[in-house]
Amino acid sequence: MKRNPLPSMIMVLIGGLFVLPFLFMIFASFKREAEVLQPDQILPQTWDLANYEAVSRNSVEAPVGLWFVNSVFISSATTLLVICLSSLVAFALTRIRVRGAKFLLNMIVGTMMIPAQLFLIPLYVILSRMGLLDTPYALILPAAASGYGVFMLSQFMRNLPVAIEEAAMIDGCTLPEVFWKITLPLCGPSIATLAVFTFIGSWNDYITPLVFMESVTNYTLPVGIALFQSSYSTQYGLTIATSLLSTLPLLIMFLVFQKQIIESMTSSGLKD
Amino acid sequence: MNARRKEELVGYLFLVPYLVLFIIFVIVPVLVSAWLSVVQLDLTNASKSAFIGAQNFTDALKDDFFWQATGATGRFALLMVPSVLVLGTAMALGMNRMAQGRDMVRALVYMPSMLNVAATGILWQWFFNNEFGLFNYTIRKAGGTPVPWLTDANMAMPSVVLMSLWWTVGGTSVVVLTALQQIPKMYFEAASLDGATGQHIFFRIMIPLLKPVLLFVFVTTTIASFQMFGQAAILTGGGPTFATRGVVQYMFETAFNGYRFGYGAAISWLLFAAILVFSSIQARVLKSQVEG
Repeated sequence: MKRNPLPSMIMVLIGGLFVLPFLFMIFASFKREAEVLQPDQILPQTWDLANYEAVSRNSVEAPVGLWFVNSVFISSATTLLVICLSSLVAFALTRIRVRGAKFLLNMIVGTMMIPAQLFLIPLYVILSRMGLLDTPYALILPAAASGYGVFMLSQFMRNLPVAIEEAAMIDGCTLPEVFWKITLPLCGPSIATLAVFTFIGSWNDYITPLVFMESVTNYTLPVGIALFQSSYSTQYGLTIATSLLSTLPLLIMFLVFQKQIIESMTSSGLKD
Repeated sequence: MNARRKEELVGYLFLVPYLVLFIIFVIVPVLVSAWLSVVQLDLTNASKSAFIGAQNFTDALKDDFFWQATGATGRFALLMVPSVLVLGTAMALGMNRMAQGRDMVRALVYMPSMLNVAATGILWQWFFNNEFGLFNYTIRKAGGTPVPWLTDANMAMPSVVLMSLWWTVGGTSVVVLTALQQIPKMYFEAASLDGATGQHIFFRIMIPLLKPVLLFVFVTTTIASFQMFGQAAILTGGGPTFATRGVVQYMFETAFNGYRFGYGAAISWLLFAAILVFSSIQARVLKSQVEG
């Protein structure tokens, strides 16, 4: 049976419609301001680098380079911490099955139902008492306490066969060795999924750094570019070039790993 | 010490680092937030804070700005949720019927979900600009009347929804597509052998089989819509005249611009209560996965 080509054609057009704003974004970032405001042509007349030069000046009021470094550090540290802590907890709760494991897991998963916004005000008070406001730790530590990683890895680990671990124990492996050499490698794909989603979530977080970061030099990219936009709102080429830079790492990651990212998103059955 | 005791000890050591963070940054904040919502907080001396009971909550229910914000969030959800369900399902059905290029289209429609909300808002603010924006530029070229996308109180929310759709509906369509592809082909073959029309197959077989995933999309989109903040904050700042200022933005402004932490905390509990209805449905699904 030959398939009707019409759905394919319509869907390719729709796909094009979704990607069109990205192209406008790229072209606008290379246009002179007058051209951005009078878009007679889609492509820039001359590929002008002035917007990128302005961004790279890393000025006092808009240190884009610094924001980039902050974002990379905070997202990487959060991801690393989430993976380490969640895998340890999931192992203790589903493989060692310590007393109270079921209660703890229910409590951790239960707190996931509380909207993130409810935490903003009390965390602001607590972090301020701890002297952590306006530091990267104000974003990293609360994110590392999230239940999502524990939930996800527990779900995966509970379905692993016990036989391999038991065999390793009989051969004289200690529990930490079993965790490190057997369980963790078996969880590889799950951990990769968790890492990707934690990184994306941390990188794109907007409201948390908006509340907890006070100095311009400590901003992450989303908060920084929002501030940048409010001070240069009339310069579309410039603000669009900074927006593009703020998404570039994720876009590159997506283009390289798009199949894995999409498939793991749907198989985990969870999205933000 | 027997082997089991030793194992448990290792287990507790594995738990300690996470539990310390969990207590400080999850459990304590929930308690602090509950406490803040029932006291009149004295920022200079917390011990002088006075217990005022449910006053913050009753104040909120009498506050016109709170109801205005609730109305804005409600309007956003009412526009967003059905659009996401219909468009997401339609796009999934379209992709499912593609003869070739499905993976490419799937990637293209999912790509906007990678953007942070600030970048999305900045880009669409340019598109929506009355004078220089792409939309009105195109409308003018075609001889039409420009649309006040973000400056008209009635247009602003649909504009915020339009941007949010571009931003998130691809993710929904990908989730529905995966569920569609898991339906065994023989169901459709058997139905058409029995003489079922396309309409019958769609309404009697496909939709019932998609019910779990559509329920999932409905719940998660509703919860996300109730939490709407960044889209309006960037695009309109909540304006014009508060038309797009949702509950989260109102909570944010009372707490961090007005320093009314107790009142803000009370609003966040009211938001939680509204979300709870929907997240308890989600929790039942999650729980069946955890225990299954």
